[in-house]
Amino acid sequence: MKEPFTPRVPRPFVGTYRPRVDAWEKARGKALYADDIATLPRFPNLLYAKVLHSPYAHARIRALDLSAAQALPGVVSILTYQDPEVARLKPTSAGWTDGVDTVSYERMMWKRFRDRRVLGDTAYWTGDDLGVVVAAESEQRAEEALRRIKVDWEVLPFVLDALEAMKPGAPVVHPDIAANNVLPPDAVGGPDVYLSKGDVERGLAEAEVVAEATCAYHNATQGSLDNWCCLVTWDDNTLTCWSNSYETDQTRMHISQMLDLPIHKVRVVSSFVGGQFGRGDTGDQPFFLFTALLARRTGRPVKFRHTRRESFHDSRQPTLYHSRVGARRDGTITALHFRSIGNAGAHADHTLFALKYAPAEVAEAAFAPIPNVRMESYGVYTNKLPACMMRGVGNSQLNLSLGQIVDVLAEKLGMDPMEVVTRNFGHLWEAPPDRSLTAVLREGSTRIGWQAKRHAPGQGPTLAGVLKLGVGFSFHPGWHAEWQEGRRGKIQVAIRLNPDATVMLEAPTVETGTGSNTCNLLGCAEALKFLGIGPERIHMASTVDTATCLKDTVQTDSAVSYLQSEALAVAAQELRRKVLAAAAPCFGLPAEALGVAGGFLFPLAAPADRRPLQEVLWAGDLVPIAVTLSRPPLAAKTGVPFMANFAEVEVDTSTGRVRVLRLVVVNDCGTVMYASGAEGQQIGGQCMAVGESLTEEIVYDPVKGVPLNFNWIDYQIPTMADIPDIEPVLMEVWRGGGEYGACGIGEGVVTCTPRAIANAIYNAIGVRVDDLPFKPEKILAALGRV
Amino acid sequence: MASVRRESPGLGGQTGVRSPERIRLRVNGAWHAFQVGADLDPAMTLAWLLRERLGLTGLKVSCDEGACGACTVIVDGKAVLSCMVLAVEADGHEVLTIEGLPKDDPVIEAFAEQCEPGYGTALQCGYCTPGFVMTARAFLNQNPTPTMDEIREALSGNLCRCGCYAGIARAVLHAAEKIAARGDRR
Repeated sequence: MKEPFTPRVPRPFVGTYRPRVDAWEKARGKALYADDIATLPRFPNLLYAKVLHSPYAHARIRALDLSAAQALPGVVSILTYQDPEVARLKPTSAGWTDGVDTVSYERMMWKRFRDRRVLGDTAYWTGDDLGVVVAAESEQRAEEALRRIKVDWEVLPFVLDALEAMKPGAPVVHPDIAANNVLPPDAVGGPDVYLSKGDVERGLAEAEVVAEATCAYHNATQGSLDNWCCLVTWDDNTLTCWSNSYETDQTRMHISQMLDLPIHKVRVVSSFVGGQFGRGDTGDQPFFLFTALLARRTGRPVKFRHTRRESFHDSRQPTLYHSRVGARRDGTITALHFRSIGNAGAHADHTLFALKYAPAEVAEAAFAPIPNVRMESYGVYTNKLPACMMRGVGNSQLNLSLGQIVDVLAEKLGMDPMEVVTRNFGHLWEAPPDRSLTAVLREGSTRIGWQAKRHAPGQGPTLAGVLKLGVGFSFHPGWHAEWQEGRRGKIQVAIRLNPDATVMLEAPTVETGTGSNTCNLLGCAEALKFLGIGPERIHMASTVDTATCLKDTVQTDSAVSYLQSEALAVAAQELRRKVLAAAAPCFGLPAEALGVAGGFLFPLAAPADRRPLQEVLWAGDLVPIAVTLSRPPLAAKTGVPFMANFAEVEVDTSTGRVRVLRLVVVNDCGTVMYASGAEGQQIGGQCMAVGESLTEEIVYDPVKGVPLNFNWIDYQIPTMADIPDIEPVLMEVWRGGGEYGACGIGEGVVTCTPRAIANAIYNAIGVRVDDLPFKPEKILAALGRV
Repeated sequence: MASVRRESPGLGGQTGVRSPERIRLRVNGAWHAFQVGADLDPAMTLAWLLRERLGLTGLKVSCDEGACGACTVIVDGKAVLSCMVLAVEADGHEVLTIEGLPKDDPVIEAFAEQCEPGYGTALQCGYCTPGFVMTARAFLNQNPTPTMDEIREALSGNLCRCGCYAGIARAVLHAAEKIAARGDRR
């Protein structure tokens, strides 16, 4: 039995350890996902769509010969780039929205980088969708039809590496957008030097100690088990799309705008989703559109689903970071400079979100006390698979650099890196040392045994002749305080109180696994404590359907855990007023003279004359008492919480193998909304981060530009046997605004781990390996053994 | 990392690699017959048959190549990757899917209930869960009192991308305790 988290304010529902609300459905295999709905028993008339993928890293279709495919029995329709309904579709991006707010075509976030054509004639990476999509009676028949299509390819030169792509004369990926492959500055991301405060060069000149470092983050992939899937019907001018997208309102807007349909004629349904992790950036994916066009053409339901290989469709952005820091001897940082080069892959989408937008937010939240800061970045098109969001957007890459330069500087100063951190980092609204940052570092260092285990780099004991141990850490600001969620617009919720004192809760959000539905149910029960009910008397649908639901709160920033609960806390007060008004006739008193608590109504002047809520409700008109609320997130700037990660590793200096022995993950949550779910996020984040740190990497054939390991044998995701001892630590130090003042942690829990492991490796062997993943050959090379 | 450790692709037994014209298999206690050609293409997998012909969508097809364990079912008492078995190979065999487990199955209960502090839950998105439950069920049938090392070894052919491994391991331990408490060794 491990030590449970103790909440700052004990509550009956919020912050508790308990099973998830969907645990039974999922443990019994009853939970339905898009692929379970799009099956023959439910849609006997189903057609299957398969799209052409480029065998080349960069190529254009000169001509197509469809005759052999058209002659194949079971092929129902073939749609190509030459068909008018395809050719007239506007150029688009998979980065319309950051997945927070709903936006129209004209208001898409990165409108300068509309580099995607739906079924265009050109492929920009090996595996890119293009040109032709087939609808057939079976998946196998559709695949066979694709094989029979004769494509006359114009093979174009390609480039995979970002630095190569920046050189004069390199093959140009999107000449109309970026003549030298470097994404031009735009209104949202800002100039190349996207943040400049003070004078960095002067700050460096004035410094007594200067350090610099470089590191490289690689191409990992989200790897959701539930491959992208959609099923589209288009009957009587209404298009219905079942999918495993994590956003319904935005998907509806995307389809409506691209296919020129009124919003009310587009219905989007998402049920359970088997993992999201940032795949598809925000999900404005072309396959929704060509599947829809096939459904209209054929008049039949059409299913499009990625195979596992096709699910290697997005990735975390490979990024090179170079950092410089200057400090006085006492450890005060005088200047900080980050320069990054991100490999966008074939499509820009949210590249500049990862390279500029999110790091600028980190600067606001963590670099405020440093007088001179410069941050500059370059996003570069290449012919790799698109790369951007993956459980965070740019945070992991920035952290790999931040935690590195702190460690390098601390060693030069002869200081404990934790002291360097608490002395220099924090946000605008609290002078250092930041309470939250200090608390997570103290807790983590105690739990890992920092004082006892940390030694001079490489100077620890050698075990069994070849094993070296080390510890390391990294830290990062949270970025999910409510004030940071203003872009979402209003959060919508509804509560209906039935006459038997049960509740219908509407707090739509697509449950991708994060536990948001459980958080909403606990938040609702907490807000409705005065009704004397618990979660078992509250119904909440697990399916989000735009035909019947309010706008869904999108599963990004992991902020759903509290945003809807904050709205429910307000809605519950409105419900309380309505309950008292409904009870007034029963008591023969004005509503203002009544109270309600613990499921009883009573005159405030005579609390003993109480009557059960149900009795009063049954005496009324039996119409449910309803409250619908649209409420913007609170805008008051309340600072940010911090997190820290500590790692202990063992490095075998004869083989180069790194074993992570132990991870301690500490999150200041403001308020823990659901303890079991939060610990699940902490532990799960470590599992993903261990994979990214040690084994996961997309490997390309550099000669052909072809990715080599789009499968789960060669792209190695950790299993239970690969996972170290993980200690999740929940804290409540910082507090945001509102009823709970919570923050999201779901992305942050993978952010610091690779750097914590890298610093632990350095502590163990005394040489730095700063190129993810930390594979044995890199360790041996660093040790001079190969 | 992911490894294929179960009985696949062939089940052996009566049918071998011969493709019969008609197959019969017992699924969750009931016999079903299918005409090869009319009801299913001989190239279709057991996973496809269970999901698309019988509507048993508890098992998931995620990798479709034996690397993730999401499609695990129990055939003749052993955990099998149903994406790696042809439907015709299941002719004459007894198949148990997650729909065939009782609601109070100790493994299902333990997965659903896991919230022991420090280990998170045993499931998040739930997509891998039926595969883990069936792998764990078959494993506990053979080894009802496992050590933690044995659990880690037995379940290392299943992937959980949400990373609920700590909670899953606890759930399997708790399932073993339930089995012992009930004297239930099915």
